[in-house]
Amino acid sequence: MELSAAWHTLSTALVPPAALGLAAPRPEAAGPLQDAELRAALDVLQCYDLHSIVEEWFIEVLQTDLQANIAPEFWSCILQYENKAEEPQCATLLLDAFRLLKCRLEPYLNSLELLEQWTKAGLLLGRGAQTLQEKVYTMFKAILFFSTTKSFQEMIQQFYSRTFRIYMWQWKKGEDGMNECESSMSETEQESDPEEGGGEGQLCAGCSSKKEQCWCPEAMEQFQQLNDILRRLNLLERVSADAVTTILHRMIEERMEQRCRGEYEHSFLNEFQEWIEKVIGWLSRVFLQDGPSAQSSPEASSTLKRWRCHVQRFFYRIYASMRIEELFSIIRDFPESKPAVEDLKFCLERTNQRQQLLSSLKSALEMRLLHPGVNTSDIITLYISAIKALRELDPSMVILEVACEPIRKYLRTREDTVRQIVAGLTGDAEGSGDLANELSKADPVTLENGQESDDDISEPGDWVPDPVDADPGKSSSKRRSSDIISLLVSIYGSKDLFINEYRTLLADRLLHQFNYSAEREIRNVELLKLRFGEAQMHYCEVMLKDMADSRRINANIRDEEEKLPEEERPPFSLVAVILSSEFWPPLKEEKLELPEQVKEAMEAYSKKYEKLKAMRTLNWKYHLGLVSLDVELADRTLSLSVSPVHAAIILHFQTKSTWTLTELSEVLKVPVMSLKRKMTLWLQQGVLREEPEGTFTVIEEEQKDQVEKVVLIDSDEEGDSAMASQADQKEEELQLFWTYIQAMLTNLESLSLERIHSMLKMFVMTGPVVTEIDIQELQGFLQKKVRDQQLIYSGGVYRLPKNCS
Amino acid sequence: TGQSTRAHPRGAAAVHSRSSQSSHWHGVASWLWVANDENCGICRMAFNGCCPDCECKVPGDDCPLVWGQCSHCFHMHCILKWLNSQQVQQHCPMCRQEWKFRE
Repeated sequence: MELSAAWHTLSTALVPPAALGLAAPRPEAAGPLQDAELRAALDVLQCYDLHSIVEEWFIEVLQTDLQANIAPEFWSCILQYENKAEEPQCATLLLDAFRLLKCRLEPYLNSLELLEQWTKAGLLLGRGAQTLQEKVYTMFKAILFFSTTKSFQEMIQQFYSRTFRIYMWQWKKGEDGMNECESSMSETEQESDPEEGGGEGQLCAGCSSKKEQCWCPEAMEQFQQLNDILRRLNLLERVSADAVTTILHRMIEERMEQRCRGEYEHSFLNEFQEWIEKVIGWLSRVFLQDGPSAQSSPEASSTLKRWRCHVQRFFYRIYASMRIEELFSIIRDFPESKPAVEDLKFCLERTNQRQQLLSSLKSALEMRLLHPGVNTSDIITLYISAIKALRELDPSMVILEVACEPIRKYLRTREDTVRQIVAGLTGDAEGSGDLANELSKADPVTLENGQESDDDISEPGDWVPDPVDADPGKSSSKRRSSDIISLLVSIYGSKDLFINEYRTLLADRLLHQFNYSAEREIRNVELLKLRFGEAQMHYCEVMLKDMADSRRINANIRDEEEKLPEEERPPFSLVAVILSSEFWPPLKEEKLELPEQVKEAMEAYSKKYEKLKAMRTLNWKYHLGLVSLDVELADRTLSLSVSPVHAAIILHFQTKSTWTLTELSEVLKVPVMSLKRKMTLWLQQGVLREEPEGTFTVIEEEQKDQVEKVVLIDSDEEGDSAMASQADQKEEELQLFWTYIQAMLTNLESLSLERIHSMLKMFVMTGPVVTEIDIQELQGFLQKKVRDQQLIYSGGVYRLPKNCS
Repeated sequence: TGQSTRAHPRGAAAVHSRSSQSSHWHGVASWLWVANDENCGICRMAFNGCCPDCECKVPGDDCPLVWGQCSHCFHMHCILKWLNSQQVQQHCPMCRQEWKFRE
């Protein structure tokens, strides 16, 4: 009897009556049931050794109640609101549902506290590792929110994102010192949402409803209440963490998309840091007790810390991803985009995205740069930008090395790469002052001593290990040489190629444009000498010296001429450029027979030269040079500067006004086809006409109606170089090898490509004339010989054809 | 010569080299030594280049050729070096005759 009464007291006190199936609570029972009474009841139970089942019983009842009543009630509440479209209503109803839930669970929570107290006081046994409280909370989560419906998640998300927006908006308003919503759409507003954009001035920026119906304050109030309830029920993490994370991610992404994409010229790190602080403020509203005065529990503040960390990480990652995606454009815009590069560098140090960067940049380069539609000069320009940008980004130069390998590989396949680089170096290429500047930079890196060792670094304490993705095969000091010119020159692995190209370019300029600026060329040669070394540039120096010497000799000879009486002076004033043939690149050989009068003048000049320089004579290159002449016709005079061939042609028309192509070809010793091309200049100038085909006549008097006649000049006329082309020169060099190869194959019958190469290297490449050949070149050469049937290739070895040996 | 052909009966084009100082027939020529060989018999380098010992490395005036009475010629620097290394009598390295400079 006593036991039954005690049990009754206890059970009615601990759980709400509805859970026990009792009809209605006795109104008077609530008040008088004091702690003392309950303790007495507990004592009675203890006498009967039944106190141990109290906890179990409590949980049992709670579980049944949750399953049978509370959960269905809550979910039907939520379900009932599913169709409600209005947002404020939705929020209210959501809150109502949770209020109801709290109301239902409140008695249990109160009892729980009581039980906890008793446990602490030793009245109850306790549950060992897992406290009763934990067990209860787990049950809430398990039964109530084991699976949540999609619409519920959406509701929660909508609710939080709305409050987030309102919070951020209010914060901003507070910061701007504005109290009214009127100012919301003022010009300072840059952050405007796309949503609000439409209803200018009509909608509140926070809740996006009409001003008159602004429910920002209510929403914030609801927000606070909901958080309190959830915190009370310990459901905060379960219910809102997902939503909060999603919102934060979305907001960061959205904001970044709006503000940073395509903007490389200033840094966004600080701005975002501030913004993140704001976000943390909102998070603290979610996770901490309300009000500034409330003491935050250590648990809550650690939660907040975790969130802050998370938000920041997330920001770095998203930002880095975005910049990585845009890296190609950033590189293109460098150095204007330097802030973006610095931002990216900062973020990269905090995230693990180097691999992503490398692969993304590589594919961007391949997609946008390395295809036949891009000019070589543009590729080089971008490569230079990339060198500059990436050495900012990664001082260890590993990214540069790895990511730009495709560029280098691709440039190797372009024929005009060397020419473009050399042109850039000497400031010839249009719009690329970069390289020329780089060349004239003080304290240049000499290309010769690339083999400094690692222990060159002055301070051992400054040593930094290479990043993990570095190629261990290459020493770091080699990599660190980020000098743009050395990097460009090293595309081909040898500087000889560059020097030869420069020499050809220089020779072309000296022989083609007689108005070259000597000072500039001398300066270029001096600068290149600093880079490539004295020995390499020596040929170019001799070339320039030849030009100066020629000028002196010309002046000398002219002085002599002037001493002669009038009638003995040569009819042609001839100025010569006298070359030291060994030091110039091979000149293109072309046959041309000049008219007598010119040849006479040249012979006379040679005589004078021989007198000036004992035991030396001149070998004229008739087809090279430049002639300034006046063509006097019956009604007009033309002043032109033309090549010797053109001059020779027109000089022949002095003696005879009509020539056929074959006649001219005979006297000039120029093949008909190329002569025909040369004739176009005079046709175009309106000096000659072709009538009938193959017969040319001087037009003495211009027919006014025919001036419009347009004759197209072959474009190859323009870019005509005086030098033998690079390919021709190579061909000639390879021809030298051919005799050796033939001899080898005669003796040894058949050899593989590698054997041939190594033998050539042993015997030929050590000779006085050192010609290098790499294995690919050799292969190409041999394949050509196979095509020409001078060689047989089968089973991986080369052999001479039978009849040949 | 053919310069003033204005009075040519057929009235063909008259071409003048301009008299102004700057514009002429710019010809291109390369100089070469009038020698009986292309390469120096001592250093095997081209006569038209310069000898390997040459300090200034500028061909022509700075690395001249000299002829012996035996008609053989060498880079001056090369033959001088050779002659200095001969202890007893000075011979032409090519024909072993006594070396005498040709005036």
